[in-house]
Amino acid sequence: MSASAIDPAFGEVATWNVFDANVRVGHSGIYGELALETDELLKEMDRFGIQRALVSHFAGEEYDAEEGNNLLAGECQERLTPAWAALPDHLQELAPRHPMAVRLSYGVKKHNFSSAPWCSGELYEYLQEHSVLTLMAREDIEWDSLARLLGNFPRLPVLLLETGYRAERYLFPLFKRHPNLHIDTSTYVAHRQLESFVDKFGPERLAFGSRLPLYTAGAALGVLATARISDEARLSIAGGTLRRLLRRKSQ
Amino acid sequence: MRSPIPIFDCHGHLGTHPDFPAWKQGYEDMLQVMDLLNVEVLAITSTLACSNDCPRGNAEVAEVLRKYPQRFRGYITVNPRPPGEALEELERWSYFHRPPLIKLHPECHQYPVDGDYYRPIWDYANQTHAVVLVHTWDSDPKCGPLLLGPIAHAFPQAKIILGHSGVTWRGYEQSFTVAADASNTFLDITGSQSHRTIIERAVARLGAHRVLFGSDMPYLEAAMVLGRLLSARISDEDREKILRGNFARLLEEGREKMES
Repeated sequence: MSASAIDPAFGEVATWNVFDANVRVGHSGIYGELALETDELLKEMDRFGIQRALVSHFAGEEYDAEEGNNLLAGECQERLTPAWAALPDHLQELAPRHPMAVRLSYGVKKHNFSSAPWCSGELYEYLQEHSVLTLMAREDIEWDSLARLLGNFPRLPVLLLETGYRAERYLFPLFKRHPNLHIDTSTYVAHRQLESFVDKFGPERLAFGSRLPLYTAGAALGVLATARISDEARLSIAGGTLRRLLRRKSQ
Repeated sequence: MRSPIPIFDCHGHLGTHPDFPAWKQGYEDMLQVMDLLNVEVLAITSTLACSNDCPRGNAEVAEVLRKYPQRFRGYITVNPRPPGEALEELERWSYFHRPPLIKLHPECHQYPVDGDYYRPIWDYANQTHAVVLVHTWDSDPKCGPLLLGPIAHAFPQAKIILGHSGVTWRGYEQSFTVAADASNTFLDITGSQSHRTIIERAVARLGAHRVLFGSDMPYLEAAMVLGRLLSARISDEDREKILRGNFARLLEEGREKMES
């Protein structure tokens, strides 16, 4: 990635070693022209100085987990780390991939399964035992269900995506009780919300997320670039938190 | 990251929020952020007025305008109910600006923007060449962008800003449809959704002169909208129109028309 490829407004980002926690790739039946294939996605990452991304495949969310994972396996390379689609009855297919991260799509219009232990418990036990970073979008899980998941599996590292900016009266009590909870920054976009969070909980619970290719990375990067936080905190959010969470698995 | 030119921001608030904690929302705090990002002027509407009490909310705005007349512009926020209160408020605070800036929030006030009780407000806006910021949301029966098309034609002297441009991808498409058909409508790009290429599409469909920078400060993070705009694949000339020129021009044109 050459520095000259980066949008001038975001030149400083190239020094942050950004590892984006919320990216999807491939054809989408829902998002039409916003979806990007790998080469286009990498160009978009280059434009914003994003070094690496944790990616899942739209096909694994919109159609079939294993079909999406097979496509994802063909796309992943040094800069793209897979977040595999996972299902409760799917461990035999998932385990041989030695996952560092999975993305769960509980939603009724996605893979339509319960987040409760009676349905997903065996999967959670595997993910916890192997310290697999577990991603899920806020719209796919109710707050009470998330609280039970975090409490029942306290060593399972959870990264909640796309919390929205109005969720703090739910989020803050969960953050106080559950050290295994983390969020991405893609939609955490209220006025001075990021710096206020860092004041309260520190940067270690936040992972930069762009929501590429649906959203422009300029939005979440603009928020991070102008947050009045220490350089150390900015680097932690930009990529340090995610690297640490993925390193748990490799250890 | 900072704006290369001083911004004229068409969409700001004053006050706290009912549904999540407000961070650093005092106007002195907002001024610090405005300086950080290079926002010269922020047009504000009272959140108290949007959610509960217009007379008290507009009085809050008056206080800020008295303290910082160079940095803030004030919308008079009006509720169509109870009937009659809105015109009283518009007269009471008519000294804020010429033309008046008016804010309508049909979603919070739970009354459709094309309902009968809004008609006297639209008449007033038409007569005074007002700049009217309307909260919009994709297909909402009270504030969907498509409701504004007939209103824009019926009240052609009013300049109507589609707040948030309907927010979603489909809401933007609805806003494009309205704006393409009514030259007195304008798109405000603030919103919690940051779809890739949407600003480029707005400029391609309507021309940059119809697109305004709004932040929604201190609801939303102004740097999010600024990041979207600074990285949009449009010309610098178009970017500067959106950052500053268009809203400044709207205010100036309205003033000239009132005086003529």
